Amino acid sequence: MRIEKCYFCSTNVYPGHGSAFVRNDAKYFRFCTSKCHKNFKMKRNPRKVRWTKAFRKAAGKEMTIDSTIEFEKRRNIPVRYDRELIQTTVQAMKRVGEIKARRERAFFKHRMAASREKHKAHRKKVLEATKSKSSVKLLEPLAETPVKEKIKVAVIAKSALIQGEGRSMGMEID
Amino acid sequence: MGRLRRSRAHHARRDVHRASRTRVRGRDLDQIQMIDLDPKNRAALETQALDYEKPGLGQHYCVECAKYYETDVALQSHWRSKVHKRRCKQLREPAYTIEESERAAGLGREVKPPPVAALMETGDSVAAI
Repeated sequence: MRIEKCYFCSTNVYPGHGSAFVRNDAKYFRFCTSKCHKNFKMKRNPRKVRWTKAFRKAAGKEMTIDSTIEFEKRRNIPVRYDRELIQTTVQAMKRVGEIKARRERAFFKHRMAASREKHKAHRKKVLEATKSKSSVKLLEPLAETPVKEKIKVAVIAKSALIQGEGRSMGMEID
Repeated sequence: MGRLRRSRAHHARRDVHRASRTRVRGRDLDQIQMIDLDPKNRAALETQALDYEKPGLGQHYCVECAKYYETDVALQSHWRSKVHKRRCKQLREPAYTIEESERAAGLGREVKPPPVAALMETGDSVAAI
């Protein structure tokens, strides 16, 4: 069983999933979903589409140079089954995975720290620009607005039960 | 009164669909960059034998855009066009390949170790180093 990678977004394509396109020079393009296939048909460059792995790697959003990445490889050399070897490999995979996760977290933190300052500076700049340039002038609220006093008026109680209590349109009869 | 037909009933999609069919698929950027732009292949493509099936008998071919033109004048004006210049710009940076998609996923390729016979030949030189 071989888990392939999607040509467009580089996610895993498991057997029985996705679709493939074979170019007339026998190059095999695999796609995880119809979304990726459609994007391929539109001749988009995955390096310029922001949600692909290729973009994230090319734009420095993910770790690219690291020794933990070097382990996963396509080996086209058959290896005889060896129980010991499989056991040690599985152990090594777990350990490498741990180390990789930790390094990725550190990479992310570092990236965010840099971007936070950038964001702050940008926000400050925008705020100042709007203050100086904007056509909208903010006015200070008036210091004292005269408050109108309420006048109390006595209300004559009216009952809906009594006919013609100032509600009906009937004629007044003396 | 005659038939009043709505215009734009098909969202002008017809030609887009036709252009994306597999049978009209042209050469991809990576093919052009790695094969066609090689000086030897380029010369062969530009001096093709008369072919009655192709536009302009296959005599006016733009290698970068992988397209045949009817006349030399048409080809010349194409070279001056924006479409051609945009294509040249795309070709200047390395094309995206299947290998790159795998590398982005963190899947490298193991280089096959050289056969034993080759190692034996270079064995003495390695020892000397």
